[in-house]
Amino acid sequence: MKQFFKTAIAAVAMLAAPLGAASASALDSISEAGVLKVAVPQDFPPFGSVGTDMQPKGYDIDMAALIAEELGVKLELVPVTSSNRIPYLNTGKVDLVISSLGKNPDREKVIDFSDPYAPFYNGVFGPADFSVEKPADLAGMSVGVTRGAIEDLELTKIAPSDVDIKRYEDNNGTISAFLSGQVDLIATGNVTAAAIIERDPPRKPEPKFLIKNSPCYVGLNKDEPELMAKVNEIIAASIADGRLNAIAEKWLGIPLPEKL
Amino acid sequence: MSEFSLWDIVYNLLLAARWTVLLSLTAFVLGGLVGLLLLMVRTAGNPWVIRLVRGYVELFQGTPLLMQLFIVFFGLPLIGLDVSPWVAATLGLTLFTSAFLTEIWRGCVESIGKGQWEASASLGMNFTQQMRYIVLPQALRIAIPPTVGFSVQVVKGTAVASIIGFVELTKAGTMITNATYEPFTVYGCVAVMYFLICYPLSLFARHLEGKFRHVAR
Amino acid sequence: MAYKFDFGAIVPHWQLLFDGGILTTELTVIGAVVGVGLGIMGAWARASRAPVISQIVGVYVELIRNTPFLVQLFFIFFGLPALGVKLTEFQAAVLAMIVNLGAYSTEIIRAGIQAIPQGQIEAAQSLAMNRVQIFRCVVILPALKKIWPALSSQIVIVMLGSSVCSQIAAEELTFGANYIQALNFRAFEVYFVVTGLYLVMSILLRMGLKVLGNFLFERRRHV
Repeated sequence: MKQFFKTAIAAVAMLAAPLGAASASALDSISEAGVLKVAVPQDFPPFGSVGTDMQPKGYDIDMAALIAEELGVKLELVPVTSSNRIPYLNTGKVDLVISSLGKNPDREKVIDFSDPYAPFYNGVFGPADFSVEKPADLAGMSVGVTRGAIEDLELTKIAPSDVDIKRYEDNNGTISAFLSGQVDLIATGNVTAAAIIERDPPRKPEPKFLIKNSPCYVGLNKDEPELMAKVNEIIAASIADGRLNAIAEKWLGIPLPEKL
Repeated sequence: MSEFSLWDIVYNLLLAARWTVLLSLTAFVLGGLVGLLLLMVRTAGNPWVIRLVRGYVELFQGTPLLMQLFIVFFGLPLIGLDVSPWVAATLGLTLFTSAFLTEIWRGCVESIGKGQWEASASLGMNFTQQMRYIVLPQALRIAIPPTVGFSVQVVKGTAVASIIGFVELTKAGTMITNATYEPFTVYGCVAVMYFLICYPLSLFARHLEGKFRHVAR
Repeated sequence: MAYKFDFGAIVPHWQLLFDGGILTTELTVIGAVVGVGLGIMGAWARASRAPVISQIVGVYVELIRNTPFLVQLFFIFFGLPALGVKLTEFQAAVLAMIVNLGAYSTEIIRAGIQAIPQGQIEAAQSLAMNRVQIFRCVVILPALKKIWPALSSQIVIVMLGSSVCSQIAAEELTFGANYIQALNFRAFEVYFVVTGLYLVMSILLRMGLKVLGNFLFERRRHV
């Protein structure tokens, strides 16, 4: 009898053990694989763009490199567009999304956000000969925006009804459309517009008005507390020791603001 | 001031064009193998198999290539396979090619007179032997011109792969356009490069058509 | 992480798909009508007695048939503004489809014309009909009838090709799919449903073209 109970309890314990272990956490699988896969933009300067060697470079790429270094693993950059970065995360193609990602309630339903790592204002920009100072002035004009980006969602809320909002698949399309004059104005990030102006483009995206202060966050899958904690730890450490400030100076030309 | 000179543009486009050629070749060869397999099972005559293959062909000929690529790209990870743009593009384009090729080849096989089948059957050949020694060799000769002609469609189809992020000639063109602000020049170069790859194939297909035109029917 | 399918997430956005389907249809109809018209003119030009016209059309046809539709579209939409020609995305999409179908139809119709027996033309000439009359009455209708299946296939191909027009923000069916996917992140479900919609549309289009062909070409039978 006693023997029977001992065996039974041992059997139940063995069956229950897998329930406790569950599936490997993301942080564990990253360490085990030795590789961190990060989704980064390649059409959104200065966060991610390509040079003559067609290699990605930018704020987000440096951020990804910093995190990979702290985790002690290799970095694998996966270029993405605004429309596929979240599906990439959800389907496990990447571990993190570092792609000038803004936070909003719809996105919070499907992914988690870390602490902010970069300042970012969304705004409407365009050449000097379009006089626009507030949303109401947009009446009758066309504005290009990247589909699904925070600029898209926010602009749709505040724009008057006769504004022609053209949504492009990715930033490449949006910027191309603006530069070729297919749209009058462009809604994008302040630093992106500045980066474009710096390259002496045919049409200059000068600031018209700012839509929203929407800092950048690292995107993670839901239910990954260890990975989240680790990423936040790395962000906080890099703010404290000035590494993040150096990245900001390099790519944005301004020091990191006091409060992100 | 863009960092790209005209030579930089052409050089980077040429590098990307390698991927276009590689993807085209891979999809064409793999698609051909799958198409041949489908052809064999379809010709064997089982009515259910015929319906299935016909449905397969209708599906790929009746939907946009872009949608097919999206489904492969976003769908495969859901069943646990990790898929890169290269794998998704190869798989999607292979399936697309296989459907069209099997249909082209079906027409060629069906144009082989019934007499050939009957004669080889009376020599005691089974289905595989009939296909291998009598029917396919003859069908092959008729099939070559349209098959080579279709290869041009495969090369053009690789351009759609740029939309799922595969960096081939068109995607490189988009990226360089935004780095240089010269869409006319860049897309012009892109078009010329595609032309240089496709036109020889088109000419070759037409030449073959002429050669085989006098094949007895 | 097990993925839970949620096709219901598409339902609230059905309007986007409906509007997109309407635009796809508009693009296809205009593209097909003008494209075939362009093809008839092109086929006529290819048979022209002035070799220069025939060669120019020949260059146009080869250029279009040996470059991808997507590149043609980008060139028209992003590239032409550099020459001062700025088109809206609808205009650019339609133009690209017309130019594309025009090239393929030129070749298809030309093959049909070449298949008209010489005897027909000689008979018409002996009735003192001029070239234009011969083309209109004796050549083009039988030619179109002969190549109608091939032409129909090409029209379906162009309709399916319209899906890449989403890349220049033309709000057709694929754009609708992309937009919904950006809102609810249900990529697979949306693309699966929209692929089904395209399949239905292509089947309907093929049937419609078959009926149209019968109407145009069979009616004249007086038996």
